[in-house]
Amino acid sequence: MHDADALLAIGAMAILTYATRAGGFLVMSMVPLSPRLEAFLRHLSGSVLVAIIFPAAVTSGPAAILAILAAVLVMHRTRNALFAMTAGIGLAALLRAWF
Amino acid sequence: MERAVITWRGMGSGARRLIAVGVYAFIFGVAFGIAARNVGMAGWAATLMSATVFAGGSQFAVLELWQSPVAWGPLLIATLAVNGRHFLLGASLYPWLRSLPAWQIYLAAVLLSEPNWARAIEAQARGERDVGVLVGGGILLWVAWVAGTVAGAGFIDLSPEHFRRFGLDLVFLAFLSCMLTGLRRGRADDLAWLAAGLTALAAMAVLPPGWHILAGAVAGGVVGVVVDARR
Repeated sequence: MHDADALLAIGAMAILTYATRAGGFLVMSMVPLSPRLEAFLRHLSGSVLVAIIFPAAVTSGPAAILAILAAVLVMHRTRNALFAMTAGIGLAALLRAWF
Repeated sequence: MERAVITWRGMGSGARRLIAVGVYAFIFGVAFGIAARNVGMAGWAATLMSATVFAGGSQFAVLELWQSPVAWGPLLIATLAVNGRHFLLGASLYPWLRSLPAWQIYLAAVLLSEPNWARAIEAQARGERDVGVLVGGGILLWVAWVAGTVAGAGFIDLSPEHFRRFGLDLVFLAFLSCMLTGLRRGRADDLAWLAAGLTALAAMAVLPPGWHILAGAVAGGVVGVVVDARR
């Protein structure tokens, strides 16, 4: 890719990506915040995470699924994210080394 | 409700809460730099992209399209599809920071990404009012991501196989799972989250890449509101 094209492509990506970041704030600033909308947004935060994690884990294979389950379990018991992440990632590394 | 603020102290705390994730963001930045070098992207271009786009998923996605002549349609659609989820992150966080001056809100938007957003949602649930958590965490991630890109585009060499072997491809999934676990407030969440997960999985089979996250999240939000209303 030529330098000028690269610069243009990166600029376009940067602007579009910023629009996706600011767009959520902008739209919410224009609609009145009813209790029902606030409840929707509250449920949205957990649901975004599930919608990212679940399909990605399922399509990444058994080691990934077990790793995520281990991370959730350790997090549930210890409330320590670093510990839980290490457990999940370590388990994935072990499973992939063994099988 | 008490007004939201942004303090230096909050920014420091936000950065500290994401140090571990920042280390991985650096490693992913290295991976991106190497991948960019492999498709012939100049070091300055990879660095500029990481600094201004600051969204790993879309940056990796467009590497497949990095050619002459530029395939503008696919390039822009891929960017929008992969980054569309930011819209939901912003919307869900808005009630928390709406009392800030607009310039602060739209400046903070530059740094919006999953890890610092997740920490912000967690802070909100604990009743904290300092949006510095979002900003400080975002700055840390940005520095790590850009520094990683510079290193990968310049001198470090690693293969994707190394990443898989050490489970590093699962770092962000594992982190987000931990944040999700911390967010659960009770049974009402389970049904919403089940709807989100199943919808996203089903949507992945029929929608173009990226859009399944929006579909699943909206389904979960709607089910959550319905469950709330019935109790």
